[in-house]
Amino acid sequence: MNLATIPLRNLRRKLPRTLLSAAVFSLGIASVVALAHLSKVVGDSLERKMTAFGANVLVTPRTQSLSVGYGGLSLGDVSFDMRYLPVAETVAAVRAIPMKDTISVVAPKFALLTRVGGVPVGVVGVDFPSERGIKRYWQPRGDFPAGDDGVLAGSAAAAALSLDLGDAVTIEGRTFRVAGVLAPTGSEDDRVIFADIAAVQRLAGKENMAHFVEVAALCAGCPIDEITAQIQAALPEASITAMQHVVKQRMAAISFVKHLALSVSLVIMLTACAMIGLSVFSSVNERKNEIGVLRAVGFSKAGVFSLFCLEAVLTGMVAAVVGYVGGVLAAGIVPDILETGATSAMAFDLGEFLLTFAAVTALSAAAAAPPSLAAARLDPAAALVTL
Amino acid sequence: MLSAIDLHHTYAPGATPVLRGVNVAIAQGDFACIMGRSGSGKSTLLYALSTLLRPTSGQVLYQGRDVFGLSERQRNALRGSDLAMIFQMHHLLPALSALENVLTPFLARLRPVGAKAVARGMECLSRVGLADKARRLPGNLSGGEQQRVAIARALACSPKALFADEPTGSLDSGTGDKIMDLLLELNAEGLTVVMVTHQPDYAALANRVITIADGRVAQAS
Ligand SMILES: Nc1ncnc2c1ncn2[C@@H]1O[C@H](COP(=O)(O)OP(=O)(O)OP(=O)(O)O)[C@@H](O)[C@H]1O
Ligand SMILES: [Mg+2]
Repeated sequence: MNLATIPLRNLRRKLPRTLLSAAVFSLGIASVVALAHLSKVVGDSLERKMTAFGANVLVTPRTQSLSVGYGGLSLGDVSFDMRYLPVAETVAAVRAIPMKDTISVVAPKFALLTRVGGVPVGVVGVDFPSERGIKRYWQPRGDFPAGDDGVLAGSAAAAALSLDLGDAVTIEGRTFRVAGVLAPTGSEDDRVIFADIAAVQRLAGKENMAHFVEVAALCAGCPIDEITAQIQAALPEASITAMQHVVKQRMAAISFVKHLALSVSLVIMLTACAMIGLSVFSSVNERKNEIGVLRAVGFSKAGVFSLFCLEAVLTGMVAAVVGYVGGVLAAGIVPDILETGATSAMAFDLGEFLLTFAAVTALSAAAAAPPSLAAARLDPAAALVTL
Repeated sequence: MLSAIDLHHTYAPGATPVLRGVNVAIAQGDFACIMGRSGSGKSTLLYALSTLLRPTSGQVLYQGRDVFGLSERQRNALRGSDLAMIFQMHHLLPALSALENVLTPFLARLRPVGAKAVARGMECLSRVGLADKARRLPGNLSGGEQQRVAIARALACSPKALFADEPTGSLDSGTGDKIMDLLLELNAEGLTVVMVTHQPDYAALANRVITIADGRVAQAS
């Protein structure tokens, strides 16, 4: 028999009530655990999805001129001074930075200003698989070019050159076939023709060269500045620019999800605390004469306080275990139900579990403290009076 | 052994005083009965003597020491060792077995109860004739048995004085008589007993009778 015997026996005596409050408390903890995990998973998947709508880091050669044009590249007057980035080396360097896990897509571009049938037009060489990774919104009529002789025409360019699916188009003496025509995107993409980067490089006699490289980094949780700094360190010759508006927008969306989860969790935990507090408060009222008797047999105020607190803490400990396991299980199931497409089997994490356990224990003690204090302060003589 | 000097007590500021200058002296081995009309302040006096209630003014001396001059910690310790109480209602903890109830005074030290204490608890239960019902919950014991468990709990820490507030008040006369017999036996073994009672035939068995009226000692023997 020890100090925990009294609270344990009391909990057992009121088993239905104990089970009910433990169940409600567990449910609260499970929701918070699942929510914390879900907000991370949903945040990550949201970020992955948003990556499909554009890059957030731009790698360009160091040039003196400020240019306006496609992707920050002037296709006009300064194109003579243009220096180039070696594609293979640049891609490899970006993919090898310390935070390489955050690099989702690396898309090099080679731009060529030319005339097709006498009409000046920009031809942009891209790596189609990479390009589609950052331009998930591209919806071509027809197909993406498969071989190196296919092109994808922007809607305005196709109209200006009267190009349609399957048409042949001669660029710098080489004949390509129009594999697809983009639906209007409202961007610069409408006014150019996309072709395989290697083919365009060959036409220009600049093999393995790119004018710029777009990078999509997943960095809701990490500072984009850190990533750009690492890319800069890997490519000292290049100029690295973070597209801050894109970054900020994504951060805002993701932090919204996280804040939402946090505030819901806070409300749940406050409710749980109020419940524990009330339950201890009612048992203090029910057991006033027990308190008097305990004082009469020599219990100090601290002793009475710990008895009542322990009752809540023991319930909290059980609820923490059940709630954490429940939360882990729920986190595995809920994404499937919500069809978020996020694969998120949450694993039992000992550190996380211990943290939850400690936090819940502290929280139940804090919630039980005010009524337990009232119990400790109860005048024993008054508590024992039987009128 | 125990004396009250000029005790005054008022429960709330402005309320009628319950005790207005009580002086009593109880010697070791006494069996003292406190009598008086309902509401006369008997329980108030008993709680003050047992250190559970701090009087508005006056002193309670136990073995020459002013108990309300002691620290709270020392008073708690005194209640856990020298002074014990029983009540009209047995006030057992309903969730604990008879034996566990008897052991609660040992728990007051906030340390696990050892085998020695458990043996002592069983000894006390045997003393009140309930060794065979040690595992029963209070709800499964009769009123008289519950009161005997309460007495066993009071005896657990081998007190020098036992304070009893109408211990037979809620029992039928036969059961009450047995409790009274037990208290007399314990007194014969050397325990000082201070008991509040309404029953003159019990008071007749005591060696001291203190009658309270109007917040003062009206009669003492
Ligand atoms: N906690 C309290 N707060 C306020 N007044 C109290 C309190 N306890 C007792 N009283 C009042 O003090 C007076 C004396 O009470 P006490 O319980 O000492 O009387 P008693 O002689 O034991 O009566 P009884 O024989 O009915 O038990 C009563 O008028 C009672 O109403
Ligand atoms: Mg009374």
